[in-house]
Amino acid sequence: MLSRNAQGLYWISRYLERAGHGCRLVQIQYRALQDRTVQELDRTWLRLYLSLGREPLGGRLGSNRDDDDFMFADAYTLTDDLAFEPNNADSIRNCIAAARENARQVRNVIGNEMWTSLNLLYLGMRNLAVQDIWADRAGSFFVNTQDSIRGFFGIADNSMYRDNGWHFLQLGRFVERAQHMTALLDAQLEVFPTDTRHVERDWRSLLQIAFARVAYSRMKSLDFQPGAVIDFLVSDRLLSHSIRYSLEHISDSLDVVSERRPLAVGARRRAGRVAASLDYDWPNRDPRDDAATRATLGSIRDACRRLNEDIDASYFNYDIEDTPR
Amino acid sequence: MPNSPQTGDEPPPEQSLFADYRYDPRFYDEMFEAQAAPREHCRDLWNVLDGMAPEEIAAMQERAERSFLQEGITFAVYGEEGAQERIIPIDVLPRIVDAATWDFIERGLRQRIRALNLFLADIYGRGRILSDGVIPVDMILGCPQYRIEMRGVSVPRGIYVALCGTDLVRTNDGFMVLEDNLRVPSGVSYMLANRGAMRAALNKLFRQYRVRAIEHYGNLLRQTLSELAPRAIADPCIVLLTPGVHNSAYYEHMFLAREMGVELVQGRDLLVHDGFVYMRTISGLRKVDVIYRRVDDDFLDPLAFRPDSQLGVPGLFYAYRLGNVVIANAPGTGVADDKSVYAFVPDIIRYYLSEEPLLANVDTHLCRNPDGLEYTLDNLENLVVKMVGESGGYGMLVGPASTPAERDAYAREILKDPANFISQPVLDLSCAPCLTEKGASPRHVDLRPFVLTGRETRLVPGAFCRVALVEGSLVVNSSQGGGGKDLWVLPE
Repeated sequence: MLSRNAQGLYWISRYLERAGHGCRLVQIQYRALQDRTVQELDRTWLRLYLSLGREPLGGRLGSNRDDDDFMFADAYTLTDDLAFEPNNADSIRNCIAAARENARQVRNVIGNEMWTSLNLLYLGMRNLAVQDIWADRAGSFFVNTQDSIRGFFGIADNSMYRDNGWHFLQLGRFVERAQHMTALLDAQLEVFPTDTRHVERDWRSLLQIAFARVAYSRMKSLDFQPGAVIDFLVSDRLLSHSIRYSLEHISDSLDVVSERRPLAVGARRRAGRVAASLDYDWPNRDPRDDAATRATLGSIRDACRRLNEDIDASYFNYDIEDTPR
Repeated sequence: MPNSPQTGDEPPPEQSLFADYRYDPRFYDEMFEAQAAPREHCRDLWNVLDGMAPEEIAAMQERAERSFLQEGITFAVYGEEGAQERIIPIDVLPRIVDAATWDFIERGLRQRIRALNLFLADIYGRGRILSDGVIPVDMILGCPQYRIEMRGVSVPRGIYVALCGTDLVRTNDGFMVLEDNLRVPSGVSYMLANRGAMRAALNKLFRQYRVRAIEHYGNLLRQTLSELAPRAIADPCIVLLTPGVHNSAYYEHMFLAREMGVELVQGRDLLVHDGFVYMRTISGLRKVDVIYRRVDDDFLDPLAFRPDSQLGVPGLFYAYRLGNVVIANAPGTGVADDKSVYAFVPDIIRYYLSEEPLLANVDTHLCRNPDGLEYTLDNLENLVVKMVGESGGYGMLVGPASTPAERDAYAREILKDPANFISQPVLDLSCAPCLTEKGASPRHVDLRPFVLTGRETRLVPGAFCRVALVEGSLVVNSSQGGGGKDLWVLPE
């Protein structure tokens, strides 16, 4: 497989995963908008922005005012910022456009169906502005966009030949997801430290973002204890948005793509090491020690970033001198 | 119904598609032989279309356009801001060519491409045709498309032009070749896309006519390229070299790579090492044997041609000279579709094949000759004047459509460098019915069949039929606002 094509597939899924995650964050935030106090909303907005590593337009979050109108206006601005702001490289529209641009580059290795679904998604939002989606039932834009993204991956699931191309699509998706989850959990602990009195809904909404609320209730408990929630989102093997799940998929795909590539063991080792640390180190931590938990999350996140560099250096932009012919 | 045409068949409903169609005897009409009298082989098509409600036809048109946009069947027009990704307009009324006509076209094209390949091998080899004085030496050696670097290079099977897309027009006097397009002709994907859309839109009629298939073009192309591989490699590695997504024909590059099942590469994916070409894959470097390039000569290799090229591969021409890789079409084929060399193609056919050309040339006056120059300047308002090295309808003057001021300015350009210009009479291009706001109206059309040459010459029975969408316009180039329609070749 051509390196540039592998790179294109990798970035298609990274950008789509990023856009999907952004949509999910806003969708869950909108649910909160319906019945929470302004102070509570401030904190969940803060969690959202911290997890994206972004400053909202105009600087700091936080209104400190008991004025509902003000908050709604603010949500409008923030929605625009997250969905359409041209200068926000990670805005939903920019991510979709970037995914499509990558898809255009590799159209000959993805099917017509995959291209068409992505192209339609882009064409549908190309000329939208925040007032168009605000007039609609709030949040439906974010729900529909997520549906379309899932549609794209569904088509890929059902139509792609399971060769290296498929595995690069998987790699991009799970490298991105693992980074999102570590960043989100870190932001959660920053805004809602475990040693303060916790509001159950802040932890329930965290699970919702990761599509984990029902699974948690079924497998763990109906009590949303911070430590247990964090543990579930980090280490559960069966939860598709857990960090553990992402790492295992990354390892599996790296096994396949590095089969005939002796130089590429670095990335595989790194992924294996992080997965192993979840097996052996993570259970020993003190769940009440936020600083330690955050340090661990930070190192996972760091490893994921390095993983991205490893993949790039092993498969996309390697030195010719070291290369077997 | 006083205004409805009388045909002997059932009278068409009012406001039918062809109610306002005006047959114009000055131009050959592809569908009608007289007012409201369709040609024998078009009668079924006419019946079906004329029986459809206007909304039905409009819906058909809209569906076709939407499918083009969704699939991204787009092209870019240079020099127009924000023009990236325009769909190429499709007209949903197919043009039909009967078996005998197609057979004639096919024989004519085979003859022509055979002669042109022999010509290229000759002028980059011993140059017999030049020493025999059939063609002026300075015209060939002075042509910017003549690549001195190609002198003495051994080209597999002597096939310089593996692919060409010849532009044919029809007048009341028969078919003529307008241009040969021997460099990197495009349009074949539109031929196939138009077919896809039309087969869906007029399925029943399509089967009834037993329209000949063209979908195997990708197979033929791959087979042709395999046959050109250096040495006898069983399964040569073929790639398609594209300038990238910003090229106007990117869709086509992508489409063909997929049809052939080969990698679509850009210059930066390739590198030359020890005289071989490799592509960068995730499992290391892989040797490339055949490059179907859609990059112009100038940009192929910054070491051999334009040094500022970002699109090419440094050292590619070196590997090519060593015979380690095949480039199709070969560099330097442009000299044979230069517009002044074009005037000599009938002589070229006679010289190499000792046959009379089957397909006629358009009468061409070379401004490099004093007679030609004088004639051209005296008759500017009746002529089409073209620059010899240009293509795509750029840089031309259509006499009858020009103003005196434009003609004066153009004449000054001609005088600056007469050898750079040729003139031709304004052709009475044939017309075919096209869908307009006022129902079907005649529009000028041409056709571009695609000829492949490897061990043998192959072509699919079909062509990209280009349409001048503006009423009365004779310019069919996509880059000048032309569109396309499906061409149905009938079985014997």
